Amino acid sequence: MKELVELWRYREVLWNLVRRNLKVRYKNSILGFFWSLLNPLMQIGVWYLVFKVIWNNTERNYMALLITGFLPWLFFSQTVLDSTSSVTQEMALVKKAYFPRCALPLAALLSNFIHLALAFVVLLVLFAIWRVDVNVHYLLVIPATLLLAVFAYGLSAMLAAWSVFYSDVKFIVGNTMGLWFFLTPVLYPLHLVLGKARLAGENWLAVLLNDWLPTIKQLYLLDPVTIGMLGYRSGLLEGGQNPITGAQLQAQYPLGDYIVGAVAIALAVAILGHLIFHRLSPLFAERG
Amino acid sequence: MVGIQVRDLWKQYRRPHQRVSTLKEAIVAFLRGETGYEEFWALRSVSFAVEPGEAVGVVGPNGSGKSTLLAIMARVLTPTRGAVSVSGRVCPMLELGTGFHPDLSGRDNVYLNASLLGLNRRETAGRYDAIVEFAELESFMEAPVKTYSSGMVVRLGFSVAVHLDPEVLLIDEVLGVGDEHFHHKSFDRLVQFKQEGRTIFVVSHDLGSVERLCARAIWLDQGHMVMDSDSPQVIRKYRAAVEEWEQRDGEARAGP
Repeated sequence: MKELVELWRYREVLWNLVRRNLKVRYKNSILGFFWSLLNPLMQIGVWYLVFKVIWNNTERNYMALLITGFLPWLFFSQTVLDSTSSVTQEMALVKKAYFPRCALPLAALLSNFIHLALAFVVLLVLFAIWRVDVNVHYLLVIPATLLLAVFAYGLSAMLAAWSVFYSDVKFIVGNTMGLWFFLTPVLYPLHLVLGKARLAGENWLAVLLNDWLPTIKQLYLLDPVTIGMLGYRSGLLEGGQNPITGAQLQAQYPLGDYIVGAVAIALAVAILGHLIFHRLSPLFAERG
Repeated sequence: MVGIQVRDLWKQYRRPHQRVSTLKEAIVAFLRGETGYEEFWALRSVSFAVEPGEAVGVVGPNGSGKSTLLAIMARVLTPTRGAVSVSGRVCPMLELGTGFHPDLSGRDNVYLNASLLGLNRRETAGRYDAIVEFAELESFMEAPVKTYSSGMVVRLGFSVAVHLDPEVLLIDEVLGVGDEHFHHKSFDRLVQFKQEGRTIFVVSHDLGSVERLCARAIWLDQGHMVMDSDSPQVIRKYRAAVEEWEQRDGEARAGP
C-alpha cells in the first residue's frame, strides 16, 4: 500500500519513462512509429505465405487466426523482454536518483500496452475493410489483456531484478520466449493440441512425451498467455463462444476451471514477482 | 524541526574478491566455502544533525565515504545500520542531468530530469523558461542532447536543479560547473540559496568553495568522522593532514 502511494507520487517519472521509451525506440527512422505496426504485419505476412500459401493448411480464416494470436503474444513477450533489461539498462538512473524502482518494469509494460492499443486500432480498420461486423464480444479482449498484463508484470519484475545480479537471465529469457511462442496457439488452432491423442514417431522424446501427454495438455491450457490469447480469439472471431471445439473436448476441458486456474497463476506470479523485486531493489544501486 | 538528522549511520559494501568467470571456478569456490566477497565499511557510526538554513560541507580523501553518505541521504542507497531523516523538499544533485538521454531534445530531457527531482509537468512548465534562460540555451532546446557540448549539458542539468525551489539541497561535486562565466553564475546561485535560508549539504574536493559557501564542515576519513566544526578550522586541519600524508609518501618513495 505504501508503495502504491509512493508510485503515485512519482507517477510523473513513470509517465516520462514511458514517453522516452516510445520516442527512443524509433529514433532516426523515417517511418518512426509506424514500425510498431508494420513489424507485426510483415511477420504475419511471412507466416501466411509459408503456412497457408505454400503449406496450404486447412484453416478457413488463417489470417484472422494469426492476427488474433500474434497481437497478445507480442504484447506479452515484448513486455517481458523489455522489462528484463529495464533495470540494467537504466543503471545510470538507478545509481543517481531515487524513484520507486518498479517504475522501470512498469514503464516497459505501459509502453508495450500503448503499442498494443495502436495495433488494435489498425486491426479494427482492417476488420472494417473486410466488412467483419464489430460486436459486443470484442470487449472480451479487455479482461484478456488484463490477465496478460498481470502475468507479464510478475514475470517482468522478478526477471528485471534477477538480471541485475546475473546476466545469464537475459539469455535464458530470450531462448525461453522462442520456445514459449510455440507453446501458445499463435500459429495453429487450439484443437491441434487438445485433440491430439498421441504423438507419432518412435524416438525417445516422443515416447516420453506420450506418457505425459494428458498432463502436458492440462498445463498447456493453464498457461495465462494461452488463456489470454483464447480470450482474443473467442471475442474477436467467435462471438464469445467457447474456443474449445467439440462437445467431447469441452467436457474434458471445462473452460471455466482453466480460466480460474490461469487467473490464479497470473496473480500468484504477479505477487511473487513484486515481492522478489521489492526485496532486491534496495541492492540495485550498489550491485549494478 | 531538524533539517537533516543522521544517527549512528553504518554502511557496509560487499566487494567481490575476484570475478568468478567459469562454472568450474564457481563450483570450486562454492565447495571451498568461499563467499567470494570481501566486506568493508564505507561509513562507521556517522552521526550529526544539520539545522534548517545551515550550509555544511563534507571533505575527505577519495574513498572516505563522502559520496556514500550523500547517496544514502538521497535514498539511492540504503544504510546497513542507523537512520537518516531529511525533512522538507529535497533536491538531490548526485549528478547533473540525471537521466538525460542523448537522442531526446533538451526540452524532453528537462521534463524527465525535473520529474526525477520531484516536479510534475505543470510545475516544470511554469519554470521552463527560467530554466532555459539560466542555462543560456534558448536556441538549442529542440535539438537532441547528443549535439550539445559537455558544458551545455552541465549547464542545463544545473539549471533544472536550482529551479526546483528546494528546502534542502544535496550536492555531490557539482560546485562551479561549466566555463568561468557559468562557474561564477552557478556559485552565486548557491550563495543566494543559502541567503534565502535553504539548507545546503555539499560534498566536494574543492576546499576553497566549501570554505566560502559553508560555515560548517565535516571531515570524513575511511568512513569515520574525524572532525565536525567551523569550516575554516576543519579545512586548515585537513590541509595540514593532507600535506603530512604527501610528505610521508614522498619520504617513503625517496627512502632506501
